[in-house]
Amino acid sequence: MSEQVAVSIRRLSKSFDGTEVLRDVDLEVNSGEVVTILGSSGSGKSTLLRCINWLEVPDRGSIHIGGIRIGIDEASGRSMSMRELAKVRARTGMVFQSLNLWPHLSVLHNVTESPIHVLGKSRREAEELAMELLEKVGMAHKKDSYPYTLSGGQKQRVAIARALAMQPQVMLFDEPTSALDPELVGEVLTVIKDLSAEGYTMVIVTHEMDFARAVSDQVVFLDKGIIIERAVPETFFTRPATERVQRFLERQN
Amino acid sequence: MTNWEIIWEARGLFLQGFLNTLVIFALSTAAAFLIGCGVLYLLEGSRPRLRVPLRIYIDVMRMLPFLILAYLLYYGLPTFGIRLDAWWAGVGALAAYHGAYFAEILRGSRVSLPPGQVEAAYAHGFTTSRMFLRLILPQLVMQSRPLLGNQLVIALKDTAFLVIITVNELTWAANSVSATYFIPTEAFVVVIGCYWLVSIVMEVAIKQAGRFGTKRGFDNV
Amino acid sequence: MDANAWSMLLEGAWTTLWISAVSIAIGVTAGLAIALIRLARLPVIEQLLVTYISLARATPLVTLTLFIFLTLPTFGINMDRSVAGIMALTLNTTAFNAEIWRAAFQNFSRDQREAALACGMTPTVCFRRIMLPQMVITSLPGLVNEMSFLIKGSPAIAVIGIVDLTRVTNRISAVTYEPLPPILAAAALYMAIIGCLVWTQRIAERKANRLAM
Repeated sequence: MSEQVAVSIRRLSKSFDGTEVLRDVDLEVNSGEVVTILGSSGSGKSTLLRCINWLEVPDRGSIHIGGIRIGIDEASGRSMSMRELAKVRARTGMVFQSLNLWPHLSVLHNVTESPIHVLGKSRREAEELAMELLEKVGMAHKKDSYPYTLSGGQKQRVAIARALAMQPQVMLFDEPTSALDPELVGEVLTVIKDLSAEGYTMVIVTHEMDFARAVSDQVVFLDKGIIIERAVPETFFTRPATERVQRFLERQN
Repeated sequence: MTNWEIIWEARGLFLQGFLNTLVIFALSTAAAFLIGCGVLYLLEGSRPRLRVPLRIYIDVMRMLPFLILAYLLYYGLPTFGIRLDAWWAGVGALAAYHGAYFAEILRGSRVSLPPGQVEAAYAHGFTTSRMFLRLILPQLVMQSRPLLGNQLVIALKDTAFLVIITVNELTWAANSVSATYFIPTEAFVVVIGCYWLVSIVMEVAIKQAGRFGTKRGFDNV
Repeated sequence: MDANAWSMLLEGAWTTLWISAVSIAIGVTAGLAIALIRLARLPVIEQLLVTYISLARATPLVTLTLFIFLTLPTFGINMDRSVAGIMALTLNTTAFNAEIWRAAFQNFSRDQREAALACGMTPTVCFRRIMLPQMVITSLPGLVNEMSFLIKGSPAIAVIGIVDLTRVTNRISAVTYEPLPPILAAAALYMAIIGCLVWTQRIAERKANRLAM
């Protein structure tokens, strides 16, 4: 497997209570690439994203992060222990739809918590990195505030810094603006755009079409658990190949 | 004779204690409930001068152990020439003590009652007392029934304190049987079983009341 | 009341305080342990714990204290009065604390746990660094409230002859023949102790509410 592939998904399937939500999904994300997953609600896009870091355990198929298989130990074929799993998970960073900063920690400590207690970094090193990242998402001035004092957009920007602090090989965004008031969406999307310009590898599930068009290198469309279309954004948004996507795009406008 | 046969022989004593506990419990919690409703009514309305003393009453009771109040009534009141026997001192203390807790529970749910209902009732020409009895109180009681039920269990357990001021209730029965025949284990197992039984019965009753309440729409306010 | 009476009263207050404090310390920890064990839902142990909690919550403290003090010697276990008192208070308060901790577990946000796992935390690290600190804050008001209940129930230990803040009033009035002043003084001391706890509880509630925002 080449060094350039950040995430490689092979024949991934998953059902909930007999209903198949993902069927034989193949997806490759190269380093530095931004892939956006689109689809109507219930199409399985969040499940796909949550499988990448094993928050959902798929029924079949494999996922490699930077060449390392997640969830299953390659050598023995057994499920990974929680400890081994945590190690691979640490190579991904995830931003959720729900605003779930840890409320008992200040902004700075939300960002330093995992580097110190998972990666074993020194406090000084972790704080230096955290300040750099908080600067990047424009939240450095709030470093000593507690989450309850922040707006939704600010919380989400800190959550991005928290995920970046693990220096992940890929960033996963699960509808990061869906829980926000409309006027707060922009500030979060701007931060994500900046990250893409800096060359971060990202997989994004979103409903913001203009944003997806501007930020993606590759757009993937999921329908009933199957990828029915993948293209560069220009093609996807102007000349969709399937009728299903045409109807989807019409409804968005 | 086995120990359990001795217990069976002494059943009269247990029964007497159990009945006494039940009577004390029923009488004092009924009185406490009335006190709680009365205090709530007085807090509701027109007499602002009563508000401070009533708050003090509630807060003092909530900061005192029950036994201290029982001591005050049993050992303290004779100083003023009022001599209650242990039984009445116990019932009085239980009623006064748990009345304050009932009042506080009802007050807590009164605060969350939407003010629109009260205004609507006044607009319909209800007097304060009719509105309180017909509209407010039933809702508060149904809404706070888990807390009221919990308070009933606490009141039941507080009746056992009365053995210390020499009331012949259920715990006294166990104590005297165990002192006479030296079989504390069996005697107390029986008595603890009785307390357990009564609390479970109350728990089930509160749940049934809850079902009735839901049917009557009390949960949708 | 003379100086001697006051010093006896304070001694009684000290007895109440230290016996309660020991019981609270054991009870809070044991309650957490029980809540943790119940998470595993082990078949027989789960039923035993449920029965224990139900029984302990229904048994009056006076009855429990007498039971322990009178029964254990028949099994050849002889113990100090204060140990028996501490055992009774602990058995009682542990059951309530276990329920408080369990509620904190059950209400813990799934989203926050997922965020921690996604950051590469193992479940152990997540429990220690993310869950436990928050559970302490959310449970604290309930735990402090339970401490007030324990202090209010602590006169039960007088029934086996421990001279606590309540029973000491009998001792004093046996000398002075004036029961009212020592009882009132004891009441004032209880109000001071429980007042402190109520005040702590309010502060704890404010902190917990902030966490929930």
